[in-house]
Amino acid sequence: MKITKKIVTKIEGEATLKLYKKDFLIEFAEIEFWQYRGMEEYLKNRAYMDACVINPRICGICGHSHLIATSKAIENALDIKIGNKAKILREITLGLEIIQNHIKWFYLTLYPSVKEINYFKALEFSKEISKIIALIAGQFPHNSYAIPGGVTCDLTNLEIIKVKNSLSKMFDRYQEIMSVDGKSLDLEELFSDIPKSIGKSLNRFLILGNNLYFKSNGNAEFVKEEDSISLNKNVLYKDKFYEVGPLARNLENDLIKKVYEKYQDSIYTRIFARLYEVNLIFEYLLKIVDEMDINEKNYIKPIKKNGKGIGVIEAPRGSLIHKIEIEDEKIKSYNIIVPTQFNLSNGTKDKLSPAQASLIGEYEQQSDLIFKCFDICAVCVSH
Amino acid sequence: MHSKPKVFWIDAVGCNGCSHSFFNYGEIKELLDKIELLYHPLLPSKEFKVQRSDILIIEGALKTTYFPRLDFNLVDLIFELIKLSKKVIVVGTCSVYGGIFGEGVLFNKKKEGKFFEFKEKMIALPGCPPHPEWIAYVIEMLIENKNILMDKENRPKEIYSYTSHMGCIRNEYFEWKIDVLEFGTKEGCLFYDQGCQGPFTHSSCNRILWNEINSKPRAGTPCFGCTEKEFPKKNLFKTETFMGIPANIPLGVGKRAYLTIAGIAKSLKNERLSKRLINEDN
Repeated sequence: MKITKKIVTKIEGEATLKLYKKDFLIEFAEIEFWQYRGMEEYLKNRAYMDACVINPRICGICGHSHLIATSKAIENALDIKIGNKAKILREITLGLEIIQNHIKWFYLTLYPSVKEINYFKALEFSKEISKIIALIAGQFPHNSYAIPGGVTCDLTNLEIIKVKNSLSKMFDRYQEIMSVDGKSLDLEELFSDIPKSIGKSLNRFLILGNNLYFKSNGNAEFVKEEDSISLNKNVLYKDKFYEVGPLARNLENDLIKKVYEKYQDSIYTRIFARLYEVNLIFEYLLKIVDEMDINEKNYIKPIKKNGKGIGVIEAPRGSLIHKIEIEDEKIKSYNIIVPTQFNLSNGTKDKLSPAQASLIGEYEQQSDLIFKCFDICAVCVSH
Repeated sequence: MHSKPKVFWIDAVGCNGCSHSFFNYGEIKELLDKIELLYHPLLPSKEFKVQRSDILIIEGALKTTYFPRLDFNLVDLIFELIKLSKKVIVVGTCSVYGGIFGEGVLFNKKKEGKFFEFKEKMIALPGCPPHPEWIAYVIEMLIENKNILMDKENRPKEIYSYTSHMGCIRNEYFEWKIDVLEFGTKEGCLFYDQGCQGPFTHSSCNRILWNEINSKPRAGTPCFGCTEKEFPKKNLFKTETFMGIPANIPLGVGKRAYLTIAGIAKSLKNERLSKRLINEDN
């Protein structure tokens, strides 16, 4: 048996992949993360509102998801119900963060690991998406406009019209990347020399968030963290590993289901689901933007000062969990569980995590691509 | 013809937010066409190799304990790269002062940082994140070999001479000392109660705007002083007060002068600004 150890780069952060091979095929894989930033400790004893500034800084590409999860956890702890307008605005900015993430992932992270591509079209696209977020939230990355009780902005119809028209324009432009019929020239080109059915995994999916059009199929109460061989923690649901993310949460869609039936949970299906999800999010956002009542209050001031709460959302890479304990308006404890922990846990040979399972039986040359299909956020993992 | 300047971008302990902020620069292709990108943590570049560079860009903070990066101990890697570079752009508050994650490369909060001895070749761009235009501006100035006017912390004056208060659409409320009564309103200034640090934060973001369109205070969120050495301070949504008056006052004004003008402004009520801007009854 041969073992190769390599550092996977050109992802958000870096991960170490140890491959155990026999006759050129991968027999077993270990995934290690050796960075630690200590966010949860950093939050302790601070005013709970500070988490709305610190937590977006967990990640440069999906920090807005951390903000929304933070506010939801605090609202849950302090029994705050937010208004419908604030809820819709948060859905829009979070949905847009997912979109800019997917497009950067496809053209910057994934594509160049196989072949050259003009990635500037992705940057141009994500820049325009970030602009719509900024119009509502002030800036992107790293805004703090979603606070416990609602949002800080007070839009006029001028901004709402601009948001709506920008969404339509970008949805239209996205058709060149992947159409609503599921056609994508760049995706087919990527697979011109790669088999579509490699990278099959556990076939076990979990959705915990209920934001956007996603419907949960589980309860975050059953999620447990356990120590692993490196600094990250394994994440299990009812003592089993599950795949989270765009493939998991879009299997109800007819088109994605069809691809899934043909290629199962392979890399092609995983990529297809992620790219197609963008269309579904655009459609959903264009629907809810019209449901906003501009005269509704943006913010309701919290009254309670103590409590324990949980915030669960579907973030770009899957289910994201924030847990908080507040005592006299201060953070007593904070716990963050990120999607990449679910997908990239370190299991044993008879109990594999989704990423480990996807690598087994495949050639080493394909390992980078298979691995990156989970859209790894090592930055988030090392929180 | 001169060869293109070699640029090496390394990520230390951070969130990649500086990179993602830079990706929103509208003319990024035109800018990258002018340089040879030796390494970047996300953008396609050549294989990682410790090598000479004309411009080194460091994003992220340093940890005093062992922190691996690309099979090196981070601090050793940064040291090697700095030694091999002609100019260093210290990008983001983490890298300049330490920020949330550790010690800065140039400073450690208010003190000198681990690589302070290389200050002469460093340009500091604090901000969490720094504005994409700022990063592009420094790279362009270096490419063109132009002189960058800098303050004593090596921050470019064309960026950090401004405060983020300049350009704020809530300035009229600041003039007349009218507070925001609660979040989520167009009306009111966030300086008196909500913790806004705009009047004493060095930044041109409210002048050039984020994502070409907005800013935090315009969206009702206070400025958190993300370009400053002590970012993030504690109690970020609450104005620190001393005997009922803001503990930190606008840059360049004496406390007594500020209190006098504030007292006068408050006593002369501005009727228009004391009401909702858009009132259905009117």
